[in-house]
Amino acid sequence: MEYKVEAHRIMSISLGKIYNSRVQRGGIKLHKNLLVSLVLRSARQVYLSDYYSGVCLNTQHVEAKEWELMDSNQEKPLTPAPEESLSPSTDCNQNPVVPEDPEVQHTSQAVEDSTDLHSVYSKHQAEEESSSEDSTTDVSLTSSPVTCESQCEAKGAEVSSSDCEADANPATVTEGNSQQPPKAHSCSNRKRTAEKTASNDSPVKRTKVTSSNSSEEEAEEMDTGNVSNLITIFGSSFSGLLTKESSEPEAETEDSDSGSGQICCDQMLKNLNPWSTAIVAF
Amino acid sequence: MAGAGGGGNDVQWCFSQVKGAIDDDVAEADIISTVEFNHSGELLATGDKGGRVVIFQQDTENKSQPQCRSEYNVYSTFQSHEPEFDYLKSLEIEEKINKIRWLPQKNAAQFLLSTNDKTIKLWKISERDKRPEGYNLKEEDGRCRDSTTITTLRVPVFRPMDLMVEASPRRVFANAHTYHINSISVNSDNETYLSADDLRINLWHLEITDRSFNIVDIKPANMEELTEVITAAEFHPHQCNTFVYSSSKGTIRMCDMRASALCDKHSKLFEEPEDPSNRSFFSEIISSISDVKFSHSGRYMMTRDYLSVKIWDLNMENRPVETYQVHEYLRSKLCSLYENDCIFDKFECCWNGNDSVVMTGSYNNFFRMLDRTQRRDVTLEASRESSKPRQVLKPRRVCAGGKRKKDEISVDSLDFNKKILHTAWHPQENIIAVATTNNLYIFQEKVN
Repeated sequence: MEYKVEAHRIMSISLGKIYNSRVQRGGIKLHKNLLVSLVLRSARQVYLSDYYSGVCLNTQHVEAKEWELMDSNQEKPLTPAPEESLSPSTDCNQNPVVPEDPEVQHTSQAVEDSTDLHSVYSKHQAEEESSSEDSTTDVSLTSSPVTCESQCEAKGAEVSSSDCEADANPATVTEGNSQQPPKAHSCSNRKRTAEKTASNDSPVKRTKVTSSNSSEEEAEEMDTGNVSNLITIFGSSFSGLLTKESSEPEAETEDSDSGSGQICCDQMLKNLNPWSTAIVAF
Repeated sequence: MAGAGGGGNDVQWCFSQVKGAIDDDVAEADIISTVEFNHSGELLATGDKGGRVVIFQQDTENKSQPQCRSEYNVYSTFQSHEPEFDYLKSLEIEEKINKIRWLPQKNAAQFLLSTNDKTIKLWKISERDKRPEGYNLKEEDGRCRDSTTITTLRVPVFRPMDLMVEASPRRVFANAHTYHINSISVNSDNETYLSADDLRINLWHLEITDRSFNIVDIKPANMEELTEVITAAEFHPHQCNTFVYSSSKGTIRMCDMRASALCDKHSKLFEEPEDPSNRSFFSEIISSISDVKFSHSGRYMMTRDYLSVKIWDLNMENRPVETYQVHEYLRSKLCSLYENDCIFDKFECCWNGNDSVVMTGSYNNFFRMLDRTQRRDVTLEASRESSKPRQVLKPRRVCAGGKRKKDEISVDSLDFNKKILHTAWHPQENIIAVATTNNLYIFQEKVN
C-alpha cells in the first residue's frame, strides 16, 4: 500500500507544481511542465495499477477512444474561480461543475481493468445521468479531503464532483479514500478534450503532457486571466503519451463500450458547445 | 601560465578570485545565469537574472612571468535586457540572460550575443582611450563658446584619456520565438548563428534582424501529442553545416543543413537505451539533457543529464563512449529533489582546452572535474572558507551512506540551495570560472 500513498503524494505535488507554474514570472515553462506531467502520468499508472491487475489492451483501447470522443466534444465550459478549485479544501463540491465527460472517468479506471470495464462504464453512466444536469451538485464525496483536493485541482470548475465521486466509487471500492487519481485523471481528460479544439498557439501557457496530465490542464484552467489560453492548454490532451501506451490510433471509434460513452458525451456536449465556439473563435 | 595540458588530477587548483557580494542574502537579480570565456580567454562574461552583463578582462601585464597570476577585473558592465510584457498573451518576459556567446574577434572591438527568453541581442564592446580636444566653437564641457571671443581657428586633436569601455547594441533579433530560448550558438562561418527554443531552432544571419530561417520544428500538429522538447543546441566547431540538438528524452540529434532546408529529419540520432533496473517515477526527468557541448576537436560531444555526464563519439550513435557519474548518491533522493524542484536544475558542462578534462557543477557548491585520459575524478568546492589567496582546493568527498569518514560530508548535509549550474574553462590555460548563486569564483592551476 505504501507505494500507493507515495504515488498519491507525488501526484498531489505534481498538480501543485503545475498550478504554481502558471503564476510564476516569465510564463509557463513548457519543458518543466512536460516533465511534471510525465511524473504525474507515471504516478497515476502506479496508483491505478493496484486496482486493476494486468493492464489490458482493450482497456487502453477504450481509453483512447474515450479521449478521442472527448476531443470531439470540445472544451468544457470554463468556470471562473480556479483558486477555489485548487484549494485543498472540500470546496470542490461547491464549485459549479459541468458534468465532466464520464468517459474520462471511465477511461482512467478502465485503463487498468478491462474485465470491469463494462461494469464501470455502466455504473458511471448511471451516475452520470443522474447527476449530469446538476451543475452545482453538492455531492458529498466519500473520499477523503485529499481526494477532494486532487479532484478540485483536476477539474477546476469543470468537473462535476459527482462525476468524480462516481468515478471514484467503483474504482476505490476496496481502496477507501484513495479516489484521487482516477478523479484527477478523469478531470484532466475532460479538460484536455476541451482544449484540444483550441488549436490556437499559446505556447507559453500550453503544457505539453501526456494524456494523463489532465491535471495540468486543470491547473491551467484555474487561471482566470486568459480563458482562451486555458482552453487551449486543456484541450491538448497529450495524447502522445496515450498513444504510446496503446497502439490504437485515437481516431478509432469506440467498441461496444461506446454506447455508454456516447450518452455521456452527449451530455457533455450540451455544456461544451458554448465554450467550444469561443475556443474555435480564439 | 601552464598550458591546458595535463589531467585534472595532476593539476592542483588554487583559489584566485571571487566576484560578487559577500552578503548571504542574495538579491534575485544578482543570481548568475551564464558564464562564458571569449575565444582568447582574455575576456570573461557573466549574465545574471537582472538582465545585466558583466565582462571581466584578464590582466595581461604580468603574464610573462610564470610566478605571477593574472587576475580578472571588471571591464564592462551593461544592462542587456529589460523585463518586457507581452500584451497579447498577458505574459511577462523575464530579463534573465539565458546565454552569452562571444563572436570570434575580427577587429579591435569585441562582439557577443546575449539572449533572454525571447530576444537575442548583438553587443559591441569597444574601447575608447582617446578623445578629441580643442574644438573651436565649444568648450571642453560642451558649452558653446561665445562667438565674439573666437578670434582664431583651431582644429581639435585626439588626446589620451582614461580608458572607457562602451557597450552598444548593434542588432536586436526579436519576435522569432514563441517558446523560451534555451540556446544560441555561433556558426564557424562567422556569419550565421542559431537560436533554439523548446520546439524550434532558427538560423539567423548576424547582419539581418528582420528575418530568420526555421531549421528545426518539432512542434506536433496536435500539441496534445507533444512528448519531448528541445533542451540545447550547438553548431559543430568546424563544420558549418552541422549542428546538434538535445531533447528532454535524453536523445541527441545531429543535423546536416545541406540535406534540406528544414532539418526535421536528423542525420544521426544518439541515444542510449535506458537501464530498466533504474526505472522510477523520475526516470524521464533525470534523463532529460540539460547541456550539450562539442569538444574543441569536433570529434566528440558531451551531454549532461541530471546525474551523469556522457561523452559521445560522433561516429557512434548507439551509446556514449564514456559515462561519468556526477552525484550518483542523489539517485535515492530523487523524490525529495522533485519536491523541492532541484530535479529540474539545468547543469552545464564544459571541456578544457585540449579536451582531456571535463567539468560540471553539483550541489553544496561542489563542482566535479572528470579526467578522461586518466579516468579519475575529483570533487572540489567553491566556498568563502577556501578563499584565501592561492589556497589549494582540497578534494571533497560525499558519503552516500553508512559510516561517515572524517572530512566526508553526508548526503543529508548537502545544501541544495547552493548549486553550481554554470562553469567555464579558459580555452588555452588552466583557469576556470565557477558560478555559485551570486558569486563568480576564479580558480587557477597551482604554479610552484
